[in-house]
Amino acid sequence: MAPRTNLTLLSNVTPPSLERAWLTAPHPTLPIIATCSSDKTVHVYSLTNFRLLSTISGGHKRSVRTSAWKPHVSGESVLATGSFDATVGIWRRWDAYGQAGGDGDAGSETPNGDGDDGVEKKPEGADDDEEEWRFAVLLDGHDSEVKSVSWSPSGMLLATCSRDKSIWIWEDLDDGDNNFETVAVMQEHEGDVKCVAWHPAEECLASASYDDTIRLWREDIDDWGQVACIRGHEGTVWFLDWEAVENVPRGADDALAAQWKERHALSGPRLASCSDDRTVRIWRRQPKESQQQAPFGGTGVPSILRPTGTDETWEADTVLPRMHDLSVYAVAWSKRTGLLASAGADGRIVVYEERFVTDAPTSDDAGTAPSDGVAPGPRTEWTAIVIQDGAHGVYEINHVAWAKRADRGRAEGQDEEVLISTADDGSVKIWALGE
Amino acid sequence: MTTEIQNSNPTILSDADLPTRLRPTEAAKSSAYGSGLFASTLSFPGDSVDPASQYLSAESESEGDDLLEEPIDEQEIYDLISTISDPEHPISLGALAVVSLPDISIKPTLSNVPDSPLRTVTVLITPTITHCSLATVIGLGVRVRLEQSLPSRFRMDVRIKEGTHSTADEVNKQLADKERVAAALENGTLMGVIAKMLETCQ
Repeated sequence: MAPRTNLTLLSNVTPPSLERAWLTAPHPTLPIIATCSSDKTVHVYSLTNFRLLSTISGGHKRSVRTSAWKPHVSGESVLATGSFDATVGIWRRWDAYGQAGGDGDAGSETPNGDGDDGVEKKPEGADDDEEEWRFAVLLDGHDSEVKSVSWSPSGMLLATCSRDKSIWIWEDLDDGDNNFETVAVMQEHEGDVKCVAWHPAEECLASASYDDTIRLWREDIDDWGQVACIRGHEGTVWFLDWEAVENVPRGADDALAAQWKERHALSGPRLASCSDDRTVRIWRRQPKESQQQAPFGGTGVPSILRPTGTDETWEADTVLPRMHDLSVYAVAWSKRTGLLASAGADGRIVVYEERFVTDAPTSDDAGTAPSDGVAPGPRTEWTAIVIQDGAHGVYEINHVAWAKRADRGRAEGQDEEVLISTADDGSVKIWALGE
Repeated sequence: MTTEIQNSNPTILSDADLPTRLRPTEAAKSSAYGSGLFASTLSFPGDSVDPASQYLSAESESEGDDLLEEPIDEQEIYDLISTISDPEHPISLGALAVVSLPDISIKPTLSNVPDSPLRTVTVLITPTITHCSLATVIGLGVRVRLEQSLPSRFRMDVRIKEGTHSTADEVNKQLADKERVAAALENGTLMGVIAKMLETCQ
C-alpha cells in the first residue's frame, strides 16, 4: 500500500484545550469550529487563523462530550452541547460579533487572547452579554451522560442520546423564548446510545449504540418509531455519518454516472459507521420499490414476509479496507468530495476513496453485489488513499470532521477542504489533503 | 527516568519478594473459601507452576526487550497494581492473586508499524469468586492506576481472565469503553471507592 495522497498539517489550533478534547464541530457557514473538552467548556476557534475566538463555559458541570451547530439560522449562531452532566445546553451568539476571526482575510488578525490566556474574551467592550455566548436554555431529561446531539436538516428538530439508552427528539419552537418541546423518547436500544445523526435531507434519524446495533427512526403519522435495526458490527458502534445526497463515486463516465444516480436515487444516501470491532462499514437501504411491489415476475411472495409500511431493510453495502488496529471512534464522509475519513484509538487517520470498477467483476466479493431484486448498479471499490500514523503523536483520536478551507494558504477561487482531527491531549489539528 | 533504566533488573529483587507474598495467602484463600472455589482450585495447579512461568516470561521479556528506551516491563506494571487494595477486604490485589505477574503482558500496539512507540498493556484479572459483583470496580481501579502512572503511549487492556467470572464479557466491554471510563472518573461516589483502593499504592 503506497498511498499517492498525503495529509499536510496546516496548523494546530492555539491554545489547545489542556484536557481531553472529544469532538470538533465545524460551523455550517462561518469559518469557525467548536471543540468540546473535558474541561467542561467548548473552545471556539477560527478556521482562518486557527486561534481561539471564545470559550463557552459556565453551563456544564462535567465534560462536554458533544456539540452541533443548528443549520439555517441567519444573523445568529446556535450551538447545542451535550455533557456528561446529563444535560443539553443551547447557546446563542450574534454573528456580527467575532466576524473578525471569521470572514475572509482582511483584518482578520484581530488580536484575541494574545499572550498566554486564551480564555479571555476580546479586549474591547466584550463584557456586554449581547456580544458573548448567551446561555439560552438547558434541556433536562436524560438520566445519565449525554453522548451525542444532532440537528435535523431543517434545524427544527434536535436529537439527543445518552448512556440511559434513550434517544430524545426535541422540537425547537423558535418562539423567541427558547422553548423546546419533547417530541419523542425512544428506548429500544439495549445499551448506551453513542451517536445520533440525521439523514441529510429527510426527517430520518440514525443511531449507534453500545448494543452493537445501528437503528433508524422515522415519524409515522404522529409517532416516532424504529424502522430498521442493523446488525453487523461486532462491537460498540461509535459513530455514524451520512453520504451526501448527490454523491457520485470517482472515475465515472456520463453513462455510468447516470446509471449510478438512478439507482442511488432509489435507495437514498448511504450510511457509514465505525466500531470497536475496528471496522468501518457502509450500509444501504433497499429501494422501497423492490420491497413493496414485487418486481416483474416476482408474484408469489406472501405478504407476511414483506415489511410493513414504514419498515425499511438496510443491508451491508461494503466493509472498508481494514486499516485500524484499535477501536475506530470517528468517521466523516465529506459532503463535498465523497472522501471518507476515519480515526481512532490507534492514533491513525485513514482517508478512503470510492471509485467505479470498470473491468469485469473479479473474485473480489467486497459485498458490492446487491441482494435485492433490482438490477445491480455499477460496481465500486474503496481504497485507502491516506494512512497517517501517529497523527497526534501517541494520543488517541476521538473525532474527525471535514470543513471548507478558510485560511490564507488556500487556492484562490477553489472550494478546498480541510480535515479536522481532535485528540485525547486536547489538541486539534487542521490538515489539507495533497497529492 | 535514568534510575529506571539503571534499574533494569528489578525482576530479581521482586522475584524473591513475590513468592513470599503470594504463597501464604494462596493457602489462606483456599482454606477460607473451601469448596466454593471449584474454578479456583482447578487453577491452582497452574499457580504452582508459577515460578517456572515467571521465569519463562522474564526470559521472553529480555529477548523481546531490544530497546534501551523500554524501561517499563511486566514487573513494573505488577508493582503498580499489586498494591491496590481490594474494595472488600483490606488486602492487596497481589496478595489475593487477583492480579499476577504471568497475567500481565506488554506488546507493541501496532504490529505493522515497527517504529511506533505505542504499547498495549494487557492485565488479566482473576476475581476471587466467579460472580464477584465488584469485578468492574477492581478492573476500573487497575485501569485508573495504570492510566495515572504510565506515559500516554500505553494503551490499557484490562480484562477478566477467561473462565473466572460469570459475566466477564459484560465487565470487559465496560472496562474497554473509553467513554464510560472517562465518565466514571467524573463520578464522585465511584471515584471515592477507587481512591480508597489506591490509597495503599506508593
